[in-house]
Amino acid sequence: MTAIVDLDAGAEVTADELQQPPLGDRLRSALSVQKISGIYVLLAMIVLFSIWVPETFLSWDTARQILNNNAVGAMAALALIVPLAAGVFDISVPYVMTLSGVWCSWVVVNTELPLGLAIVIAMLVAVGVGIVNGIVVVAFKIDSLIGTLATGFLVQALVKWRTGSKVVTSDELAGGFSRIARNQFLELTLPVFYALAIATVIWYLLEHTATGRRIYATGFNRDATRLAGVRTARIQFGALVFSATLAGFAGIVLASQLGSGLSTAGDSYLLGAFAAVFLGATQLKNGRFNAWGTMIGIVLLGTGTTGLGLANQPQWVQDVFRGVVLIASLALTGLQVRKAGASSMRSWLRRGSSAEVPAPDGSTAAASTSPPIHRKETV
Amino acid sequence: MRAGEVHALVGHNGSGKSTLIKVLAGYHAPDPGATVYLDGHEVTFDELAHGRHGSDTRINFVHQDLGLVLELNTIDNLALHGGFARTRFGRVHWREQRRRARQLMAPFDRTFDVTQLLSKVTPVERTIVAVAGALQGWITGHGVLVLDEPTAVLPPKEVGRLFEIVRGLRARGAGILYVSHRLDEVFELADRVTVLRNGRRVITSDVDGMTKQQLVEHMLGDEAKAHYRADLSAASGRPVELEVRGLAGRYLRGASFTVHQGEVLGVAGLPADGRDELPRLITDAARSALAGWVRMPAVSDRWVDVRSGNGDGVVLLPPDRAREGIISPMSVGENLSLSSLGAFSSLGRLVRGKERRFVRQWVSRMTVTATGPDAPITTLSGGNQQKVLFGRVLAIEPRVLVLCEPTAGVDIGARQAIYELVAAQVRSGLSVVVASSDVSDLEALCTRVIVLRDGVVTDELAGDELTEYHLLHAMEGGRDFAEALT
Repeated sequence: MTAIVDLDAGAEVTADELQQPPLGDRLRSALSVQKISGIYVLLAMIVLFSIWVPETFLSWDTARQILNNNAVGAMAALALIVPLAAGVFDISVPYVMTLSGVWCSWVVVNTELPLGLAIVIAMLVAVGVGIVNGIVVVAFKIDSLIGTLATGFLVQALVKWRTGSKVVTSDELAGGFSRIARNQFLELTLPVFYALAIATVIWYLLEHTATGRRIYATGFNRDATRLAGVRTARIQFGALVFSATLAGFAGIVLASQLGSGLSTAGDSYLLGAFAAVFLGATQLKNGRFNAWGTMIGIVLLGTGTTGLGLANQPQWVQDVFRGVVLIASLALTGLQVRKAGASSMRSWLRRGSSAEVPAPDGSTAAASTSPPIHRKETV
Repeated sequence: MRAGEVHALVGHNGSGKSTLIKVLAGYHAPDPGATVYLDGHEVTFDELAHGRHGSDTRINFVHQDLGLVLELNTIDNLALHGGFARTRFGRVHWREQRRRARQLMAPFDRTFDVTQLLSKVTPVERTIVAVAGALQGWITGHGVLVLDEPTAVLPPKEVGRLFEIVRGLRARGAGILYVSHRLDEVFELADRVTVLRNGRRVITSDVDGMTKQQLVEHMLGDEAKAHYRADLSAASGRPVELEVRGLAGRYLRGASFTVHQGEVLGVAGLPADGRDELPRLITDAARSALAGWVRMPAVSDRWVDVRSGNGDGVVLLPPDRAREGIISPMSVGENLSLSSLGAFSSLGRLVRGKERRFVRQWVSRMTVTATGPDAPITTLSGGNQQKVLFGRVLAIEPRVLVLCEPTAGVDIGARQAIYELVAAQVRSGLSVVVASSDVSDLEALCTRVIVLRDGVVTDELAGDELTEYHLLHAMEGGRDFAEALT
């Protein structure tokens, strides 16, 4: 036992140790392979493709293509960060994207309402789904994976009801609506900047606000966080509304990009978005879902698939690439994490066992429910 | 151990009961030099634990948590231990399986429904299933069954049924090693008793002719230990901080008590008496209260129903540090500041400088030994983690701090540091409730102790009565006995 050491050394935490470490150390730590392995892999891939397909890969056009093509995917992935950090899955995100896209384009095509109002209506529908998600997961206490899977179905039903399973399309969508996603700035389409703006907001929220800290704590250990006085139910509810709101916006942008309200528009974003977020959690802040790590994940996966496309590889190779990157990165961080002792991934896996205090099992002793003797009611 | 006897094993916390059982079960290896004889033949501990000693005599264990899968029924649980009956095609032979389960349960309860999920049956029935599971494979009916505190979580009315079962097994020739905290049970059930203290056997004796006094004296030993006592004076004259009436839940059946300002009130008893439940019910950490009223006269004269929440100011330091205390992926600083984040926010922004100052202040106040505020909390020793959690709850300046097992998994040196931390806060006016299975916690800290038995407050100790000795007796329900001693 180290009893004595413990007591004697107690007061020796000096102020120096509590200061920030020197700049050199911080820089070295910031550039360490463990923190930004994704950047190093990205650089390695750029070198690889530059040698493999030199005539097409190393160009501004390719870079633009990668960024523009993955911007909506980035928005979908960013929408997942906050709920995952708070310890809840939101499977419904891609379906909410479809929903808001369909609603927005339907309003533009079928009514005389101005575009701004159409966007507001679509966003409100998305927020509504977020509230339903919150009720299902937080109030009904249904496991979030199952709960949002179920609401995902309901959202698809709403999509099909609105569209009659037909594509919502018309010349009206080529006007102001299409400019939401297709206008360019600095030779990049606007969604790239939307994604950057959203990432900045999420980064600020999670890193620089008390709410962000509470979100992470809730995701890591809900029971302990609740006992520490944090309203964890409210946090998880809010996280689901937040993700639905972002998904709603991403869906409008996607519909604008496609120039139509497609009832399957969001479907293909499900796996890619989750892949990027989980990959992102291995970057920068190991074990925590974070915005810039997710952006690294998006660019990494996007560069790989684009490069493979330019190298004329068949489609399935791209999927092999995505799968391998995800497994490799999580396995490697899993090893690091086991050394470090903890991570959000692990708390995900443990989640099942950290259930609440066991329920009474029918053995409840007969309660003598005598009220207080001097009961004074001063309301 | 003789065949056909109930042999009680008693001793204090830390006397070595659990270690002894774990050695027998093969979980720990004994130091060289230990020998064990079975039916007069020497066997190794490894052979004993794995049943490879070539004898029909078995040694089986029913651990305190029973080791059952509550989501399955009796048939499945018994088969998980004893194997499944298969048909020729490899399918589970359910009819045969059901027959076997009924057969195994028959000696205990002929009418027991073996198809019921164990989550639906009473705790004592679960214990019976665990005993039946442990006994399957006993060909001759001979052997040793080890019951590790089987009554610790049984409601009192079900204890009698377990006793009948244990007596039945004895009549069939089994030797039962019965580990218990409750001395009453020893006298009611056991033929012989062995007392352990500090890892040594003090005595093995027939229960007949032994008195409770003698047994307790054996458990405590005669060395007058210089116990740590916090420097606190009695507070019964001071104003009341918290009043609780008619608190009822799974174990509690109407407990009432008051806590004075600047007082440390201890709660003694066993889990089945409601000791672990009480802290949760008064802090609203579990909404399983059936009834109960709390009032904090300094805040309001209103009685509040505990089922609707108890208002602020009564804060729990939970017993299970790993599960309900620390946020293990976070740093020391993040763990410390979690409850006080609002104080470092301005317009939603978390001001890092303020947070660092706060963390620095509390790290040194709580004498936490850590490499720095950014060190992962998991790199700290149990005692230091506990100090961090103390810092977290003290920082929000509660009116009443409720501690549950405050020194569990904390080494002896850090223990005293924690006692002193609490005492310092109490001297500056904090009221504290301490519930602990470790009587030395109560002795060290408390100015007054209430004793729970069968869900109600049966006794109250203060002043000179507050010794480990008296506490143990009071928990046994031996008020008369405690008086006889003084």
